[in-house]
Amino acid sequence: MLPSISAGIWRGAQHILRTRVAPRRTGLCTCAGIPGELCDAGTIFALSSGHGRCGVAVVRVSGPASTTALRCMAGLTHSLLTPRTALLRSITDPQSKEVLDRGLVLWFPGPHSFTGEDSAEFHIHGGPAVITAVLQALGSLPGMRPAEAGEFTRRAFHAGKLGLTEVEGLGDLIHAETEAQRRQALRQMCGDLGRLYQDWTSRLKRCLAHVEAFIDFSEDELIEDGVLNQVDTSVCDLQAEMERHLKDERRGERLRSGVQVVIAGATNAGKSSLLNTLCQRPAAIVSPIAGTTRDVVETALDIGGFPAVLSDTAGLRDSPDLVEREGVRRARERVEQADLTLVVVDCAQLPSDAQQAPAFLQGHLSSILPTQERSQTERCLLVLNKTDLVSEEWRQQLETELRRSSGLPPVCLISCQTNEGLQDFLAALHSSIKALCGDPLSGAPSLTQARHRAHLQQCVAALSQYHRYRDTDLALAAEGVRLALTSLGRITGRVGAEEILDIIFKDFCIGK
Amino acid sequence: RGRGRGRGGVDVRVRCGPISDHLARHKYDVIVVGGGHAGTEAAAAAARVGAETLLVTQKIHTIGALSCNPSLGGVGKGHLVKEVDALDGLCGRAGDWAGIHFSILNRRKGPAVWGPRAQLDRELYRQFIQSELLSTPRLTVLEGSVEELLLTEPDPEEPGHHRVTGIRLANGSQPVSASSVVLTTGTFLSGSLFMGQTTSPGGRIGDAPSSAGLSHTLRERLGLRVGRLRTGTPPRIVKDSVDFSLASLHAPDKQPTPFSFLNTHTRCKPEEQLPCYLTHTTPGVEKVVRESLHLNCHIQQDTKGPRYCPSIESRVLRFPGRRHQVWLEPEGLTSDLLYPQGLSMTMPPDVQLCLIREIPPLHRLFFFCMHRSEMCYGVQYDFVCPTQLSPALQVKSTQGLFLAGQINGTTGYEEAAAQGLWAGVNAGRWALSMPPVALSRTESYIGVLIDDLVSRGVTEPYRMFTSRAEFRTSLRPDNADLRLTLKGFEEVGCVSSLRYQEAVRVRDSLQDALAALQSLVLPTSSWKKILGDVGISETKNSILNGMDLLQYNNVSFEMLASAFPERFSPHLEFSQRLEIEAIYRPHCDLQRKEMERIQREESLSLPPDMDYLSLPVSLSQEVREILDRVRPSTLGAATRLQGMTPAAVVQLLSYVHQTGKKERRSHRNQLDQKGREEDGCTRNVVLPQ
Repeated sequence: MLPSISAGIWRGAQHILRTRVAPRRTGLCTCAGIPGELCDAGTIFALSSGHGRCGVAVVRVSGPASTTALRCMAGLTHSLLTPRTALLRSITDPQSKEVLDRGLVLWFPGPHSFTGEDSAEFHIHGGPAVITAVLQALGSLPGMRPAEAGEFTRRAFHAGKLGLTEVEGLGDLIHAETEAQRRQALRQMCGDLGRLYQDWTSRLKRCLAHVEAFIDFSEDELIEDGVLNQVDTSVCDLQAEMERHLKDERRGERLRSGVQVVIAGATNAGKSSLLNTLCQRPAAIVSPIAGTTRDVVETALDIGGFPAVLSDTAGLRDSPDLVEREGVRRARERVEQADLTLVVVDCAQLPSDAQQAPAFLQGHLSSILPTQERSQTERCLLVLNKTDLVSEEWRQQLETELRRSSGLPPVCLISCQTNEGLQDFLAALHSSIKALCGDPLSGAPSLTQARHRAHLQQCVAALSQYHRYRDTDLALAAEGVRLALTSLGRITGRVGAEEILDIIFKDFCIGK
Repeated sequence: RGRGRGRGGVDVRVRCGPISDHLARHKYDVIVVGGGHAGTEAAAAAARVGAETLLVTQKIHTIGALSCNPSLGGVGKGHLVKEVDALDGLCGRAGDWAGIHFSILNRRKGPAVWGPRAQLDRELYRQFIQSELLSTPRLTVLEGSVEELLLTEPDPEEPGHHRVTGIRLANGSQPVSASSVVLTTGTFLSGSLFMGQTTSPGGRIGDAPSSAGLSHTLRERLGLRVGRLRTGTPPRIVKDSVDFSLASLHAPDKQPTPFSFLNTHTRCKPEEQLPCYLTHTTPGVEKVVRESLHLNCHIQQDTKGPRYCPSIESRVLRFPGRRHQVWLEPEGLTSDLLYPQGLSMTMPPDVQLCLIREIPPLHRLFFFCMHRSEMCYGVQYDFVCPTQLSPALQVKSTQGLFLAGQINGTTGYEEAAAQGLWAGVNAGRWALSMPPVALSRTESYIGVLIDDLVSRGVTEPYRMFTSRAEFRTSLRPDNADLRLTLKGFEEVGCVSSLRYQEAVRVRDSLQDALAALQSLVLPTSSWKKILGDVGISETKNSILNGMDLLQYNNVSFEMLASAFPERFSPHLEFSQRLEIEAIYRPHCDLQRKEMERIQREESLSLPPDMDYLSLPVSLSQEVREILDRVRPSTLGAATRLQGMTPAAVVQLLSYVHQTGKKERRSHRNQLDQKGREEDGCTRNVVLPQ
């Protein structure tokens, strides 16, 4: 097979990607998808204010193409650029020229910026539609891609803008971001979309394994030549499916926006009552029979102005009932994906000796929360329900013991029956959700979608390398499959920690 | 550059029998124990680095013996041979001398995965290695068996709990002292031989088992963790008894390609090469295996054997009902034996014969055709878990003790030779007070091999595959000299100046040729006129340079040279390399960034004596325990550990960053002092990054 496009154009393709030629020309080259991990010098963007109720959202851009973004989207040509000055501009879509919003734009030429690179900020109106439109417009510019977790901070470190003491904090930040991304990925991975991506990954892995086997073993062992023909078909199918998926906008599942709050606990602890109390209507059926709730009951709520999705789940217990067992499985899945878990405990089930209560609760928590979360008490609220069923004296003992003990998440004592303690609980819930909403990571679906698109496009492009070299150089063909798998792996989130590490060490210049 | 002492005269001493007082009084820089592939490369490399070296082996006449298959190279393994040769090792040139059937495997799959391979004449190979060793300056060879390692208190300036000071030989004579010792004992560490239901101690049939003392020292005194592996070897077949009409002939390449960058041709002439034969197992073989399982204690035990070079029993049991390949390979130009690759087994001798006769071309085989030493047997042996080694292949807890070859859990001549060379280089450097050197997985298969061993360990005998190398398209057999020879001379000191000059010439010529190719820029229409129809795609107004043109399948460098003789014909010598370079260059450019990142990580070394359990940074107990157990030598190795979290790596990075700065400062002060003491004598010192 002949290389369909010569190296001159091929190299040109990289050039196009990195500089600012109209994006339609990138379609010409067969190798447009320079794998993300190999071109870290690109320009990145992200929503850097929290989501939820906010008047102004800030979108940050960092990298060499920042000025391109200002020119194409805010009409700031070189002569109009004034460093560190806020300008009120119309923000337009670079392709359709449609006005997306009117807002402030700022330009921070490097090295005098947070990241040390040329940077720009778009201060736009906080509605989700505007934010999504601006992020998508940025993503359509050549050389721009959504930022990875912690990437702005890492670039700052790279540029010597952060001291070593701040690096200590960076460790925690990266941990938080990895966690947030993991949860975000999990949420999206459990639906049809997730199954689709997982299926692609496993097929791609198989393809790679077969090509590698053919390279390393076919001379000595009996590996039929047919193996490669199967790979050819699989790669073609995968490519076609991914391309179809990329074209079909509707296939993207609507992502649930808002902080995911999951109510979990043992059966009959009063989880559904809590849900009903919170939404002030009987959204879920309540009864004194253990195991009443079997599926997940989901309600969107506005808690103190912040969007939240409240999910009531089946009580966690071993049950012989198949339907209930499925409910429990779903409940555990939800807890795994939650931003905030409300663990509901029936006060009457606590040990009668109040001194033992903290240890009991600790044990109870670890049976409910997923392993990674056990140490992270800030993402959990402990709700001790049915205070109306215990004596006042015991209750005070309990409160004293709880104050004394450490390591437990915030505890609220309430009674869904009498609404006792509800105000305090709502205040605690509000402050937790507020903290989570202030964190841009707890759910920015449009950014995640943009990232998925970018990785899928890289994946498809890398697969075309397989075909290009299939008959002339199997090592280079296999390289294409390797790169495709890496790109897809960044969506499925399977190797999250490992990948974040890759990025850390790519962006940090160690040993200087 | 200071390459140590004793550069002058050739010093060849071969000593057999009891050790003389002279030897006992002598202090060597390096002692290498074992004369297999690892040992011979280690001894030669240590001597090349400038160390006075002693090679101790059980039998001098088996130095360089091919104890298993009579072949060298292959896919992945061939890469290692090229790299060992690029570092001035022996096996590539020995292969060119002893080869009797050369072929490049994977010829149609791309130059990055070509597998240069040769069938060898056992006798010629042994002779070449022996004559090389015996004429290596600073190298002495001694016949003997090592009883134990001599150990003493560690040098407080260096990490480790012990320091090796020499060896004691089995005949109870005086100790021989040395600054470093390289152990390449192969399968002899608590080795036992299996055939049917009989078991005997030993590492190879026909050789005495090695003393228990060495095993004891490693395990008990040094406290090294060991594991157990198994391997096996097939019988040898008398050529005259084979019915070749029932096997298919497999011819060598018409033009043999030498392994060594120094050789332009092989000793064996193209037409003198011997063929191989291919045949297959039959259902009868499977039947014999199943019926004799109860007589076979090797296969019943669950010691880990290789998945990729399994015994015929394992193959038949794992994939029943299939035909398995058996290659009949020549053992030498004058040998009357054939080596049946793929027939290793451990059954009792009479069952072996039954099984062999189930294979069509071997149906005439009679029992008297097989000598005891030519029958199959299995070996089980101890290996030292290689995570206890540094990237210089030194035992982390023992100063001056290096391990290489099967003792580290690998299998194969090439893997052994590669480690032997690198252990020898570092043992020599240690003895001459030069800092250790490491090869990165971004620059060589040897680096991949060593990094895999020391940072991941082994669970089965480790063999090299090209799929283990992330940067496979950059680490090709054709460019091993450019990757390693220059560094080997300039930084490591294990390459002769003759080879270095050749590599420099090649590098410069290639650079000139590539520049000439790139500077020839023409519109596609002109190229079409000059070269005719070679499938240049019809893109209007596009211009292409010579490099671009070489990426086309049907454009060769010769075509360009005949079109532009004054420009290109001086470079015709490198036609093939230039064509490969043109195809791979764009991909290699893409990989470079990633390679630089890994090199940065690897340049950040973690102190081997770091107390992870009480390090004053925020690390989880789990991560602390992982780090404490594995003790990665670089931050790069740490990131590849299972269970490491990104946050933990950042904490570690910042800690090392801080302490690194302090240490560098104090190190610089020390150096200044040293410099003054040594009165301007320059030394090749590598500063920790």
